[in-house]
Amino acid sequence: MSDKLKWLADSLNMNRRNFLKTTAVGAATTGLVTAKKDAEAFAYEPYPKDDELETVVTSCAHNCGSRHALIAHKKGDVIVRLSTDDGRFQKDGYFGKDTEEEPQLRGCLRGRSYRSRIYSQERLLYPMIRVGARGEGKFKRASWDEALDLVAGKMLDIKMKYGPTALLDQSYAGASWGVFHKSDQIAGLLGRFLGLFGCRTNSWSVPSYQGTVFSSTQTFGSIEDGNEDDAYAYSKLIIMWGWNPAYTFHGGNTFYYMRLAKQRGCKFVLIDPQYTDAASAYDAWWIPIRPNTDAAMLAGMAHYIFANNWQDQLFINKFVQGMDQGTMPEWGKGGESFKDYIMGFSDGIAKTPEWAAEICGVPAEDIKKLAKMYALTKPAALKASWAPGRNAYGEQYNRMAAALQAMTGNIGKLGGCAEGIGKGWHAEGSALPEDPYSNIYAQAIKSDRWAHCVLNFPNLKREEIGLWPRQDPTDGLPPLIKGIFWQGSNWFNQLTNINKEIKAINNLELVVCNDSTITPSGLYADVLLPVATHFERHDVALPWYKGHYYIHRPKVIEPMGESKTDWQIYTELAYRLGFGPVYNPRAKRDYFHYNDATDEEYLRYWWESKVMAHQHVEMSWDEFKHYGIYKFKMDKPHVAFEDQIKKGKPFKTPSGKIEILSTPLATTPDFAKTQFGYYIPPIPKWIEPWEWLGHQKAVKYPFHMITPHPRWRTHSIFNNIPWLRETYEQEITINASDAKKRGIKTGDTIEAWNDRGKIVLPAYVTERCMPGVVVVHEGSWLDLDENGVDRSGNPDFLTDDNPSPAGAFAYNTILVDFKKSDLDHRPGWDKLATSRSHVYRRDSDM
Amino acid sequence: MTEAKKLDKEQVKQAVKRRKQVTYAPVQPEEQLGFVHNNVDCIGCRACEIACKDKNGLAAGPRFRRVQYIEGGTYPEVYAYKVNMSCNHCAEPACLPTCPTGAIWKRADNGVVDIDSTLCIGCRRCEAACPFGAPQFDPSDGLVKKCNMCIDELEAGRKPYCVMACMMRVLDIGPIDEIRSGEYDTKAIGPGEETTRRVKGLANPDLTNPSIAFIPHSKGKVD
Repeated sequence: MSDKLKWLADSLNMNRRNFLKTTAVGAATTGLVTAKKDAEAFAYEPYPKDDELETVVTSCAHNCGSRHALIAHKKGDVIVRLSTDDGRFQKDGYFGKDTEEEPQLRGCLRGRSYRSRIYSQERLLYPMIRVGARGEGKFKRASWDEALDLVAGKMLDIKMKYGPTALLDQSYAGASWGVFHKSDQIAGLLGRFLGLFGCRTNSWSVPSYQGTVFSSTQTFGSIEDGNEDDAYAYSKLIIMWGWNPAYTFHGGNTFYYMRLAKQRGCKFVLIDPQYTDAASAYDAWWIPIRPNTDAAMLAGMAHYIFANNWQDQLFINKFVQGMDQGTMPEWGKGGESFKDYIMGFSDGIAKTPEWAAEICGVPAEDIKKLAKMYALTKPAALKASWAPGRNAYGEQYNRMAAALQAMTGNIGKLGGCAEGIGKGWHAEGSALPEDPYSNIYAQAIKSDRWAHCVLNFPNLKREEIGLWPRQDPTDGLPPLIKGIFWQGSNWFNQLTNINKEIKAINNLELVVCNDSTITPSGLYADVLLPVATHFERHDVALPWYKGHYYIHRPKVIEPMGESKTDWQIYTELAYRLGFGPVYNPRAKRDYFHYNDATDEEYLRYWWESKVMAHQHVEMSWDEFKHYGIYKFKMDKPHVAFEDQIKKGKPFKTPSGKIEILSTPLATTPDFAKTQFGYYIPPIPKWIEPWEWLGHQKAVKYPFHMITPHPRWRTHSIFNNIPWLRETYEQEITINASDAKKRGIKTGDTIEAWNDRGKIVLPAYVTERCMPGVVVVHEGSWLDLDENGVDRSGNPDFLTDDNPSPAGAFAYNTILVDFKKSDLDHRPGWDKLATSRSHVYRRDSDM
Repeated sequence: MTEAKKLDKEQVKQAVKRRKQVTYAPVQPEEQLGFVHNNVDCIGCRACEIACKDKNGLAAGPRFRRVQYIEGGTYPEVYAYKVNMSCNHCAEPACLPTCPTGAIWKRADNGVVDIDSTLCIGCRRCEAACPFGAPQFDPSDGLVKKCNMCIDELEAGRKPYCVMACMMRVLDIGPIDEIRSGEYDTKAIGPGEETTRRVKGLANPDLTNPSIAFIPHSKGKVD
């Protein structure tokens, strides 16, 4: 326990023995008799009970698809504990209110652990300046003036010397997701700051789901292809394709509505190399599949549906472009339609279930059975999740799934599904200044290619780094990068091929990290600027994915140490660099010290001019602040594209239809000049990835590693929390028969490696994973030994930084080998927090 | 283990009964509260565990609530389920008579079993006696602690932190008799589901008569 935590625990909870003595005397008879009258004390008295503390409604704020209420119970300026929504903190609320249309927004294990994150020993409390080598972790404390002057001076210097591309924006959603304090790739505070400064290279691909963004955009013209979470309760069949809603909490109550669906007779199927907790909770039919072969299996299903004429031809004729010859556009007549490809009319290879079975390892009979179920059950939700898209050619999987969703007519219908990205209800998401300065950049590259760009400059082709096209003479010129800024971002730890990043970062002259926690990225920074957590600043929270509500997020406690908000830091820097009033138009010069009134002004304006004006909300800002949570009541669940299907509104694609044949892709003359860099077929196709079990590389590296999102962290956030570390182990999941061949048991230390790196972590041996596949969850905090071996078990030492053409990170395209090892495994930087999860995991046959 | 199995079970039952009779007469609460947990629908997220840690100010180590992950079968015919327990506030708690200082008592109103920490000497006998692993030794102060069903929350008219944390609504408390008879209105029990006292792999409930009911997984059913 850190000193701070211990102090808290001591002062609040544990020094109770003295207080209890008087009340407990009555019970102090012999061990054989129990007290007859009710004792007044309970074991942990006299710690403050909830009702003796001040209650403040707030929410979690880490980078996941949900957002849940947290209720802070505080004494003075200290948060004593957190609870969650119990139905009371809304208009007409009462304890226990939890209806299907207004469910409670109950926080997950990560949200519930926030108190130990705020008060963790990794909390960054003061500005720090590096004194050791990058990555060594040696810093000295600095004053704000010293740190800001250093950053501002270096910025001017670098811009003068290297020009407008020299500073790379690697802001990400780690400090998200409020309407006001935004860390984000596109419209975040850092992008605004570097853009206005006139020196910014942007990073355009999204690590979690770029393949899916591409697919949804090409197919539907929108990433808002998601139904709201309550719509799941109306499905008759839910196919969870690479989706584990028991781990990644996608939306306020998605997992709970799926439970309701199950109770109403919905059947579940899981396509995944692992038998997940979601599969067991929803009693799903598990179809294990070789990683990276999803598009092939979907093609086999499409073939079987066409062959039996089970497709919804009326729907296709009316709403779809390029599904078959009858739906080809004028300009494409006679070209290859999706059906031509599937049936083999165009290339002579029929994509039969038998053809698919050879590739994906799923028996043809199972492919047929699932195809029939999906085609004939109405309504059915094929939830094509993100993970299988985080592959080489992952975008083809998402596009193929969209084709099946369209051919079965399950789009725009309650109980169906067009996801995809799955972003549901459209919120008023931004209280930032409305002006053209939010996203100015000199160049933009694929996010995971920065190290490649730095190491190979200037001998680079634009397609190698996915340069975003520009309408000016700088189009296609690779950026000269000499500095990185991180805001809400631990990307150094989270992007692919970390060893390549380690090589590249030493070519930089300035690395600045804004964070509330000292992260592995922070250890490679030159300047660490301490940021107030969302408990220490004023904002409004909303789910970015699914769920229709806003949660007020007041300043619960004062910023700890000398921490400031990102807004304060960038505003102050902007003033020092000469553009303060433009950067933060409502602020005064002393905003660095007095920000409360200005922040309130932004938020009130947002509520009144956007929420009240656009969303027909009658509750005033002050009333909202009083209740804490505003839940929208819908007359029916929101379903994506309902207007298109029921009212004939055109899709936002060039043709106004669902584009299985993509107009932009079919009409692109030269892919090298697009941000994609390389050819992408206009209809979805199975394309062999550069690493998979069917590849010749599998002779040397016979195991396919997948790296899903964990439940006990949000990416890398919370890796330092002992409470959470106690619920899991950073481990490598190995199929029992594979483990047996190598004499490996659960708990053995394993080293896993390929040409890119080596990691060490314990084994979890199970029948729940398919043979030939190993699983390591992303996000553990890198911890190198003297030979460059990662002791934490971070799989991104093994991933390849070569992205898929559409920009998908190939996080799940990794071949490896592994063996039992004597090398050191260290689950975290602190030695206290060892996991005990094995104690609570066993085989029931034992 | 093989030796023990040869014993006459009836004889053992009689012996246990005899021991109980000569040891103490358990408190008969006005209304015994207990837990209900749906083993199948639980996603095993352990939000309840973290809520409990926060509520009780515990560091890593002592773990009042424990979600056990149980799995079996052979690839690809596998299954998994969760069994979630803290203290079962047994009708005949095994911990209570082992306590040499009388720190453990059972409440007469709701049957909650509690440890008075001013009396606990940290001898850990209760930890050894409990067949469910409820008492937890806290090395930070040398005391044994356990779930008290958030008695302060109960007294305030609310439910314990773990129950109110459950994202899937599969964990609840209520009068255990009503939970068992199916009269109790709770989301933890789905339509057509029936509770059981015992699931595979757990200690025999006849030992202490724990106040907990489960919706069992088909592979977790006993008999």
